[in-house]
Amino acid sequence: MSKSRGFTLIEVLVALLVLTIVITTTIAMFVERHKRLRQANETILAYQALSNEAEIWRRIAFGQLDAQAITFQSDTAILAPLAPYATSIHVDTPRADVKSVTFTIRWANTQREAKLSIVRADTGGNGLW
Amino acid sequence: MRQRGYTLLEIVVTLAVFGIFLFIVVLLTAEMRANEKKYPINYMAHPEVSSVMARLRKDIFDTKYYPATFQDYQQTPKTLILYTLQQTGFGETVVYDFRTAGEVHRKSFNATQLTGDWTARGVPQFSIGNFTLNTGQDAVRISANDEHNRLAIDEIFVPRPHD
Repeated sequence: MSKSRGFTLIEVLVALLVLTIVITTTIAMFVERHKRLRQANETILAYQALSNEAEIWRRIAFGQLDAQAITFQSDTAILAPLAPYATSIHVDTPRADVKSVTFTIRWANTQREAKLSIVRADTGGNGLW
Repeated sequence: MRQRGYTLLEIVVTLAVFGIFLFIVVLLTAEMRANEKKYPINYMAHPEVSSVMARLRKDIFDTKYYPATFQDYQQTPKTLILYTLQQTGFGETVVYDFRTAGEVHRKSFNATQLTGDWTARGVPQFSIGNFTLNTGQDAVRISANDEHNRLAIDEIFVPRPHD
């Protein structure tokens, strides 16, 4: 009796399994790559706003740092693609003559965050540099 | 004798599996495209934008003053003239020319002689704005909009002290 032509059930299942693994891995890599690219672009946007705000706070007189409103003073239009987002500023005083100012932007339902800190020292000057 | 070929059921099942796979791929791609449109530019795919910003940052940080005019150039929102310090300690005049859409030209001059000419292409439309800090210092606000007029770059650079 001649052998039947075609594939056995095992052969078909193994082929399907291999195909599924290849497809799933490819899609997962595709999605992950896209996610990381998006996060990188978001971070670049966030750090533009952070460094702009830092430039302003670098030049506020040391004695007036605590008196400032803890909201961003710079234009944050660049953050539009991250909306809704939240900005905050925290002034810490580790020593009487040193203050640390931390700028924070949170977005993606506060799951993503970008921070930038600057340290200000009381040099007795007018706060220019 | 058994007939060659596939049954209708086999073909339908195969097409259904393939259809589901195609549907998932199309869905994912559409979602990604919609997401990408939110952003003004893909910075990772356009390193020339970062390259322009890096050069601008360095030049403005090292700027001693902003000449009002230089040769045929004038300070305008599309032309930035800087007098910057080089690594050698000597100064040079640097002109950023944003007048050509999608291009950035950086020309450097030793006295009146052209010493460097660098061009970046495929970049968003840059423009220059003044930004006066409450200390009276003149910073430079660089902004750039993509082809859909979305803000892609908005950075303030303040010259660093040199004396």
